[in-house]
Amino acid sequence: MLALRIKDKQMGYFFILPAALMLLAVIIYPAIYSLKLSFTSESEALYSLTNYAELFRDALFWQAFRNTLVFVGVVVTLHLVIGFSIAMALNTRIKARLLFRLIVLLPWTVPDVVAGITWKWIYDPVYGALNDLLSRLNLIDAPILWLSDPKLAMASIIFADIWRGFPFVMLILLSGLQAIPRELYEAAKIDRASGFQSFRYITLPSLKKIVGVALALDIIWEFRRFGLVQTMTQGGPGHQTEVFSTLIYKEYFQFFRFEYASAIAVIMSIILLSLSLPYIWMISKE
Amino acid sequence: MRALGIQQQQTIKISLVYFFLVLVSIFVFFPFVWMFLTSLKTNPEALRIPPTWVPQKLTFEAYIAIWTRKPFGTYFMNSVMIASCTAAISTFLGALAGYGFSRFIFRGKTLLLGAFLATQMLPGGLLIGPYFKILARIGLFNTRTGLIIAFITICLPFSTWMLKGFFDTIPPELDQAAMIDGCSRIGAFRRVLLPVAKPGMVATVLFAFLLAWGDVLWALCLTSTHEMSTVTLGILRFVGEFQVYWPMLMAGSIIGSVPAIILYIMLQKFLITGLTAGAVKG
Repeated sequence: MLALRIKDKQMGYFFILPAALMLLAVIIYPAIYSLKLSFTSESEALYSLTNYAELFRDALFWQAFRNTLVFVGVVVTLHLVIGFSIAMALNTRIKARLLFRLIVLLPWTVPDVVAGITWKWIYDPVYGALNDLLSRLNLIDAPILWLSDPKLAMASIIFADIWRGFPFVMLILLSGLQAIPRELYEAAKIDRASGFQSFRYITLPSLKKIVGVALALDIIWEFRRFGLVQTMTQGGPGHQTEVFSTLIYKEYFQFFRFEYASAIAVIMSIILLSLSLPYIWMISKE
Repeated sequence: MRALGIQQQQTIKISLVYFFLVLVSIFVFFPFVWMFLTSLKTNPEALRIPPTWVPQKLTFEAYIAIWTRKPFGTYFMNSVMIASCTAAISTFLGALAGYGFSRFIFRGKTLLLGAFLATQMLPGGLLIGPYFKILARIGLFNTRTGLIIAFITICLPFSTWMLKGFFDTIPPELDQAAMIDGCSRIGAFRRVLLPVAKPGMVATVLFAFLLAWGDVLWALCLTSTHEMSTVTLGILRFVGEFQVYWPMLMAGSIIGSVPAIILYIMLQKFLITGLTAGAVKG
């Protein structure tokens, strides 16, 4: 029995080894490569901080930084609000619940490039559906330049991304709601708690952890959103919708400044890792 | 009298819920409807001012054109092959590792699990540069194999995590029973645990497939010809062309979405349990 247990302990490593080796080769090694790259520059022979020094003086970097924060902040907040309202609606005992759940999840199955291109077409100032709809309703006189007006571009992209991304948050919150035992609500009813009270004292506290999970995952996804922005504006007009992922792509494959692009990517990774650290810590210590 | 009041209240509440869900459904369907209607128009009709909503002349010419005038067939086959291989490899390795994390206590486990999760947080932007250089050096740039390797970076950490959650829901007594009956650890895993975890495996395969199917960053950076392009990349390149043919683009978008939607509708039960198995239980 003891022999079996020792052997079993080693088996743990045995099962994990293939995946661990794979991750080492396909993620850790390239990540270190990129880190090294970010400390090299053409003018200097040894490692240097040139790229990072340049980065902190680069107005474009800071603009991408701000844009990413705005994009992620607004999108994730609205995903949560909309996702939560819909999850609450789907958690009632209505007959068409499953049908609505199916419908509501559809945007999430579409590749983000497809979402981007479809919304770009809806937003088209001349031939698009949105301006036509608004002018038929007599809400606008002149076509609105949804994606080429610098003031509107970010909002338009955010709106499209809300459409694409809320189902995922909704799905996680719905499963959290369904995991709350019905007896709790029945007990509250017997104690004559109002609907609001049972929401405040049963629903919200039970959901605390799952909301954390949903937020963390959504922040991580939206932080690296690329296809949607690339199809809709490619970061334009000017750099009004430039986010980290599109900026890194440009530095790599349009300006071919690999070292500089790596430095931006390293900063982005540090932000992402520190944002997700509480989440990683929470779920891996269980 | 009072009972009736509660009944009425209930009716009002349910009508409000329906009203809200119908509004949401309209919001959800609107882009799909516009996409579909455009794909059935001729190119001149798509560029009419003001736009027509229901096509005056229904035509499938856009659907034919993307297969004949554009290499959409190639894109489609590439996407299917790449996404399937990625899903198979990362589910297989993820099942092994997920089982390992679920069943064994060993030194450094928390750290290792944390490291698995942390690799998932690294953005593609950090890895594309090195991939570009490394793949070129070993002759895998602009190949399907290269893309499969790249997609494993997105899918494997997630698969491991999802399957760990699944194995956690299966009582360890099941493994012990199989081992008492004479199975080795690997035998117990293969003959007893894998069949029981089938819904989880299905969910993971599907999710990895959808992740790989939906990507465009990697395909954009690691391929250079039409022969190796995926559906999403084909669509992205198509937008950048001098003259955009919207009916064709919308037809391509529908073709690019349909496999994912069908898979999802068929397997949605598994997907929902699988995605939330790890997240909900704590």
